[in-house]
Amino acid sequence: MKHLGFHTLRDRKTDVLSDKLSQQLKSELNPALSDEELFSFADFNADRAERGGYSGYSYWGSTLRAFFQNKVAVFFLIVMLSVLTFTLIQPYLPGQKDPLLIHNDQWGLPLNNVAPCGEFWFGTNAIGQDLWARIWAGTRTSLFIGFTVAMVEAVVGILVGVLWGYVRKLDFFFTELYNVLDNIPQTLLLILISYVMKPGVSTIIFALCLTGWLGMARFIRNQIIIIRDRDYNLASRCLGVPTWRIIVKNLLPYLVSVITMRMALAIPSAIGNEVFVTYIGIGLPVDTPSLGNLIQTGRSLMTVASLRYQLFFPVLVLVLITTSFYLIGNAFADAADPKNHVK
Amino acid sequence: MIHINPTENKVILSIQNLNVKFTLRGQVLSAIRGVSLDVHQGESIAIVGESGSGKSVFVKCAMGLLDANGYIESGSILYNGMDLATFKTDRDWLKIRGHEIAMVFQDPMTSLNPLKTIGQQIREAVELHQGLHGEAAYNAVLEVLTDVGISEPKRRYKQYPHEFSGGMRQRVVIAIALACRPKILICDEPTTALDVTIQAQILELIKAMQKKYNLTTIYITHDLGVVANVADRIAVMYAGDIVEIGTCDEVFYDPKHPYTWALLSSLPQLGVKNEPLYSIQGTPPNLFQEIKGDAFAPRNPKALTIDYLQRPPFFEITPTHKARTWLLDPRAPKVEPPEHVRALREKGVNRNG
Amino acid sequence: MADQRKKMLEIQDLTVQFGSRLHPFTAVDHVSFDIYQGETFGLVGESGSGKTTIGRAVIRIHPTAGGNIIFDGQKINGRISRSLDRQITQRIQMIFQDPMSSLNERAKVDYIVSEGLMSGHHHLTEAQRREKVAKALSDVGLLPEFASRFPHEFSGGQRQRIGIARALIMEPDFIIADEPISALDVSIRAQVLNLLSSLQKERGLTYLFIAHDLSVVRFICDRIAVIHKGQIVELAESEELFAHPLHPYTQALLSAIPLPDPIAERQKKLLVYDPACHHYSQTNQPSWQEILPGHFILASQEELDAYKKQL
Repeated sequence: MKHLGFHTLRDRKTDVLSDKLSQQLKSELNPALSDEELFSFADFNADRAERGGYSGYSYWGSTLRAFFQNKVAVFFLIVMLSVLTFTLIQPYLPGQKDPLLIHNDQWGLPLNNVAPCGEFWFGTNAIGQDLWARIWAGTRTSLFIGFTVAMVEAVVGILVGVLWGYVRKLDFFFTELYNVLDNIPQTLLLILISYVMKPGVSTIIFALCLTGWLGMARFIRNQIIIIRDRDYNLASRCLGVPTWRIIVKNLLPYLVSVITMRMALAIPSAIGNEVFVTYIGIGLPVDTPSLGNLIQTGRSLMTVASLRYQLFFPVLVLVLITTSFYLIGNAFADAADPKNHVK
Repeated sequence: MIHINPTENKVILSIQNLNVKFTLRGQVLSAIRGVSLDVHQGESIAIVGESGSGKSVFVKCAMGLLDANGYIESGSILYNGMDLATFKTDRDWLKIRGHEIAMVFQDPMTSLNPLKTIGQQIREAVELHQGLHGEAAYNAVLEVLTDVGISEPKRRYKQYPHEFSGGMRQRVVIAIALACRPKILICDEPTTALDVTIQAQILELIKAMQKKYNLTTIYITHDLGVVANVADRIAVMYAGDIVEIGTCDEVFYDPKHPYTWALLSSLPQLGVKNEPLYSIQGTPPNLFQEIKGDAFAPRNPKALTIDYLQRPPFFEITPTHKARTWLLDPRAPKVEPPEHVRALREKGVNRNG
Repeated sequence: MADQRKKMLEIQDLTVQFGSRLHPFTAVDHVSFDIYQGETFGLVGESGSGKTTIGRAVIRIHPTAGGNIIFDGQKINGRISRSLDRQITQRIQMIFQDPMSSLNERAKVDYIVSEGLMSGHHHLTEAQRREKVAKALSDVGLLPEFASRFPHEFSGGQRQRIGIARALIMEPDFIIADEPISALDVSIRAQVLNLLSSLQKERGLTYLFIAHDLSVVRFICDRIAVIHKGQIVELAESEELFAHPLHPYTQALLSAIPLPDPIAERQKKLLVYDPACHHYSQTNQPSWQEILPGHFILASQEELDAYKKQL
C-alpha cells in the first residue's frame, strides 16, 4: 500500500525543514546538552502538571476596562461628574447670588426678565430672581430628589425582591401585593398625596417612593428566580449555609451590575417624574426652585421669543443630566456582561 | 480482514499548515499551531481531544464560524479549488455552509428554532439547497425524516422541537443537515449531551447516513471510546496540534504518542475493580500558557529532557500513521506503553491474525 | 454476608412527585434499597429516570411524597428537629454533576471551599480556617496557592476537585455523587474516580454514586441498581450484574457501552429496550423479586421463571 497518502511531499518537506530548524535551535539554546542528555528522562513534577496557565482575569477589572473603552460613555461620565461637582460647590463660589433674592435696580424696581448678560449670566425671571443661581439650586433639589428616590427604590426594591424571589412561601403574598399596588395609577396617587400632605421636597420624595420600588422589586425577583436554583446555590444549601449568606454571597454579587444599571436609570426617571409632577402644578412650591418648576415657569413664557431663554437653560441642564445617566447606565450594563470581556 | 483504505480516495478538504490565533484582553493566544490534515472523499475521520485542545476551533475554520476575536493567521483550507482561509464575508461562506459542508452540534436545541415546526425547518433546507417546491418538497421532507428513523413522519412534520426527546431532536438536526445535501458532514460532539443508549443509536444513524448519502464525515469528540466503531481514521489533538494520526486500528492497537496512550488507558471501561485507574495527571494547558517543546511533557511522567525544549517533528510509522513524539527518534530510550495499551495491541494482533 | 453490615441509608417505598396537586408527575415510584456502611452504591439510569431526584430527596432539596428515608437509624425526610438537621447537613454531602455551574463564579476558591464552615456553629479562628482550606485542597491534589483564585481559572477536572474539597471539609460520612464525572473530559474522569475511591479507603466513606453510564460504575461501585422511569428494575453486586444482566433494560444499557476496541465494536450488537416487550397486564403484574442471593429484579412470575432458566 505504498502510495502518496496524506503524507505528501509537502509534508515531508516541512518535516525535514522543521527538523533542521529544531537542530539549529537546539544548538543555540542548549549548546551544553548532548543527545544523551536530551534523550534522558526529565524529572516529573506533579505541581507543574497541575498549574496550567493563569490568566489573572478579574471580573471587575475587565468590567472597568470594557467601560473605559467606550469613549462616548467616558465623555458623558466626565460631563456628569462636572455637573454634579459644580452643582454642589456652586453656592460656595465667590460672586454667586441668592436664588430667592429679588434683584432691584437703583430705583427699587425689580430687574425682571433681564436677558442673559454679564451681570446675570442666564438672565432673570419674571420677578427679578437670578436664573443662574436658581438653575443650580433647582438642579440641587432635583438631584437630591433623584438620588434619594433611587436609593429608597434600590433598598426597598432589593429587600422585597430578594424575599419575593428566594423565599417560596412569600411568593404568593408579594405577587398579590404587587398586583394590587401596580394597578393604582401613579399619577392619581401623586395627585392624591399632594392634596393630603403639605407640598414640599419630602412629600414629593414620599410620593415617588411609594410606588417606585415596585418595578425594582419585580425586576430583582425575576433575576433571583433565574439564578436561585443553579447548582452552586443548591451546593450552598447542602452545606447548611444560612439563607441570608446565600443571598449576600451567592445571589447579589451576580446582580450588582444590573442593579447598578437600574439605579443609574432610576435617578433620571425620578428627576423626570419630579419635573412632570411640578409641571402639572401639584409639585413643589415656587419658593423651592427645582428643575420642575423652572421648566414649568419657562413653558408659560415660551410664546414670547425673547423670553425663551427661561425655558432653554433649565431644559439644557435636565437633558444633560438625564442623557448622561442613561448612556452611562447602558454602557456600564454592556461592560458588566462577561461576554464583552474578550477584547 | 478486508478494510478499504480510505486514504486512497481523492482529497476533498485539505488543510495546510493552519495557524489560528485569538486576541483576548490584549493578549494574542495560539489556538491552532501549524496543523495540516487531508480529508479524503468518503472517509470518516475523528478528531479527538480534550476541551481546549482546539478541535472545535479547527473545524469552525472550515465553516467560517470562528468567534469574532479569532482569526486565521496563516495556512490554507483548500476545498474544491477554493481557499476557505481567505473567505471574509458571510456571502462567501453561504456557498459553503450547508450546501457543501453541514454541521451537527452538541446540543440539538440550540440549532433548532423553537417557534417553527420541524417540518417547516427541514423544508427550508430542502427548498434552499435542493430547489424543490410544493408537493415535491413535502415528500422530500418525509423521506429524510424516515431516513433518520423518525416514525410517523406525517404527524411529526407538524410538531415543534419541544415535543421531541433529546435523541429525537438530534435526529431532526441530522435530517436538516442531510436535507442540504452536503458533501461533508461535521459532527461536533454529536452525542455528548445524550444518554448512552441514545448515543449508540445516533452514531449508528450517522454511519448509515454516511453510506446512503455518500458523505465524508468529520467527528469531533473528547471520548476516544465512542469513535472506535465509526471512524476510519483518527487524529488526536493536544494543545492546538495533531500529535498522532492514523487509521482507527493503528491508533487503537498500535498508538505511539504518550498522550494517546494516556487517553486510551484512562478510559473507565478498562478499569479493574480495586485497582486505581490509569489517570493523566494535572490539567490541560490553557491558551494563556506559552508552549515550548512537546505540550504534553509537563503531564507526562516519562517525558524526556528534549520534550521540554524542542517541539518534536512528525515521525512516520506507516504511510498512514504518524506521530509527533521524540520517543520515535532513534536516539530515544525505549519506553513501553502502559499495560492497557499493550493488552489492546495483543487483542488486535490476535484477531487480525 | 451483606446483611451483617450496618445499614447507613435505608430508602423505603420512596415516592417523589412534582407538579401541581391536581396533575402530579411521579418522578420516583415506590423505590426501596439499602446502602451499607463503607460501600459504593451505584444508581444507574437515563435522564428522566428519577436517579437525581432520589439523591436530592436524600439531601432534602426535594420534598418526598411518600415513604421513608432512614439515615443511620433516624428518619430524615419530612419534618425533622433542628439538631438532627444540623447533624445531617454535616454528615451527608453532595458532589454535583456540572463543575461549571456548581461553583460560585464571584467568590474565591478560599470562600467556596470553606463555605460549610461558616454556618455559625464551627467557631474557627481565621488561621484554623485557612489551614483547613489548604488541607482540603491538597487532599484533592490541588495546590494550596489556588485558594486565592476565582473558579474560572480552572479546568473542568480541577473545578470538580474544588467541589469535592468543599464537601470533604465538612468531614461527612456519606457522599452523594451525582454524575460527578459525566460532564468532564474522558481524559480527566479517571483522575476524579481515583480520587473518590482513595478518599473512600482513607476515610471509610459511603457513596451513593449516580451515573447514566454503566461502564463507569463497574469500576467504582460495589452494588448497582438500574433505574428506569422512576422504578428500580434490577439490583445486584456489580460483577454479578455484569456477568448476568437479566432485565432487558440492563442488557440494553450494557450493549450501549462504547468499547475502545474497533474490532469488538464492529462486531457488537446494539440492543434497544422496548417496555412493551414485558407484556404486563392486570393479571401479570411485575413485582420485586430476589432471583439469586443479593440479586433482585423487577419481574412478573412468568418472566422470573424465564430468567431462572437463563442462569
